[in-house]
Amino acid sequence: MTHTMVAEDWDRQTFRVNREAYRSQQLFDAEREQIWGRSWLYLGHETELPNKNDFKVRTLAGRPLIFVRDGEGEIHAFLNSCPHRGTVVCRENEGNAKNFACFYHAWTFRSNGQVSSIPGLDAYPGDEAFRASMALRSVARLEIHEGYVFVAFTADVPPLLEHLGDAADYMTMIEQQHASGMTTLPGTQLYSVRGNWKLAVENAMDGYHFSPTHNTFVGYLRESGFAVTDDDQYAYTLQNGHLLLVLTGHGGRISMIWEPRFGEDERVRTQEHRAEMVQRLGERRAHYVADESHILFVYPNLLLFDIEGLSIRQLEPVSPGVTDVRAWQLVPKEEDPDARALRMRTVVSFVGPGGLATPDDIEAYEAVQRGIEATAGGGANDFSDMSRGLADEIKGVQGRSIDEGAMRGFWRHWVAAVAPAGLSVTGERPESFVTGRDVR
Amino acid sequence: MIDLAVSRAAVEDFLYAEADILDAWDYDAWLALFEPGARFEVPTTDFRGWSAIESGSFVTDDWDLIKARVKRLKSRKAHAENPHSRTHRLVSNVRLHPITDPAAPLRVGPVSTNVALTARQFGDLSDSFRVTASFVVHRARDGEFDSYVGRYDHVLVPHEDGFRFRLRRSILGHEFLTAGARLSFIL
Repeated sequence: MTHTMVAEDWDRQTFRVNREAYRSQQLFDAEREQIWGRSWLYLGHETELPNKNDFKVRTLAGRPLIFVRDGEGEIHAFLNSCPHRGTVVCRENEGNAKNFACFYHAWTFRSNGQVSSIPGLDAYPGDEAFRASMALRSVARLEIHEGYVFVAFTADVPPLLEHLGDAADYMTMIEQQHASGMTTLPGTQLYSVRGNWKLAVENAMDGYHFSPTHNTFVGYLRESGFAVTDDDQYAYTLQNGHLLLVLTGHGGRISMIWEPRFGEDERVRTQEHRAEMVQRLGERRAHYVADESHILFVYPNLLLFDIEGLSIRQLEPVSPGVTDVRAWQLVPKEEDPDARALRMRTVVSFVGPGGLATPDDIEAYEAVQRGIEATAGGGANDFSDMSRGLADEIKGVQGRSIDEGAMRGFWRHWVAAVAPAGLSVTGERPESFVTGRDVR
Repeated sequence: MIDLAVSRAAVEDFLYAEADILDAWDYDAWLALFEPGARFEVPTTDFRGWSAIESGSFVTDDWDLIKARVKRLKSRKAHAENPHSRTHRLVSNVRLHPITDPAAPLRVGPVSTNVALTARQFGDLSDSFRVTASFVVHRARDGEFDSYVGRYDHVLVPHEDGFRFRLRRSILGHEFLTAGARLSFIL
């Protein structure tokens, strides 16, 4: 791509993105190679595999994988493909198995990937090295941070913590919310949307859409005794493509910030929990963990919605115009049953394809995907505008969540990875421009 | 105990009438089919019989949320359903089940559903019974045409003019929701 993909104009204070980025198969292929083939990718959470030999089958960057805890308790990610001739070895979605047997020629593998049986082995080279070479192929790298399991399809990636940078601490804050730690629940929201994966990222970082798009949900909150405002809500660009919205005074948080719709029992539980947090974490850390809602994007495929409750959302691009989404609810390992019931009711009422809000988000970015066809081939008109709030950032004022600063951070990172020749910069970025956030 | 021998045809009429009400987007009439305090649930596609508090869900509406959902769907600001989907529902394989033991799981197609939760939330269930049925909902919107297949697992209470839902649960038969298949309408 030699024509302009991202046009950053510091003189005119504008920022524009070429709509080819949402519809081009060529760019999609380049993303597969330059982003999905070369980055740490979120695979799943350790708590999805509570027992030895538990497994889940999952597709990441179009590659079928087996996500498994072996007989010793170690987590692995294997390419779900027989080393013999390539058959998908595990055809169940999930389960518990000490062995995976390929039905085609009956080669069998242990849950640690080692081959346990090759029928008619005497017809093969007799050495042990041949047999050992026929283990299930593992992903190139696998590392875990606070239970979040990441993999990479190339060994040439920095250590996970280096990649996560400041995002790592926001994941730690989630783990610290409850003394017992956090666990995923079964009941995964599996759905697919007719939109480019980057539209899902933009939508999550876009506070500007909240009031118009979620008019009916905002009305529901208002009736339950809570008025939504845009005050004290900020957007941050972290390193390595990670993004953060910090929302304070935004809304209730189960067991951390009470609001009327949570009821009186929850008010007491919240007070008790807050006292426990202060004792365990100190006043300052408890403040950051409890009093702020965070929406964290961990580049390129993980969204953590640390809002009323906690949702993990994973993006899997299928084609330029289709994205598979998988979403899990993350809950305290030990929680009062009434608080848990309130949490699930509250979280599910907002998020997911059957909630009162997410369907409107999906409608919005599916409508974008359809609408961007209108300007195809339109030269200077074939761009989306993301200039909102840039003037403030140039002045050194922290961007608000209702601006488009987090999106700009994403696109700067994207264009550097996928189409560096497509970056057009006019003027110079002023020294005063703000990036990042330090809460420690 | 409810006398099930006499009521199956009446239950079928009730479910067919509900299907027509939903296809006609008559949400006030739909809300009137529920008793106050009722629940509406759509479990996720990997459902294995978990309760709505031990798992994620697509929908886990208590009475307040059912009313909020109806109010939302009646608004022209429910963008995901403006313009409305065109739906066409078929209901079949209707079966009635007495609630002899509120804690006993009921097998519905490939999964057992958790009655114990129902008992916990609704208390005495001796005035009610369960209905299972198959559904197909055809949906047209945005130039696309999708089908949703699954089973109902309802708790119904007899009423002077028919029945009322105490629990309305739609269990999808899909492995996942295909592209564009968000549940912005009532399944």
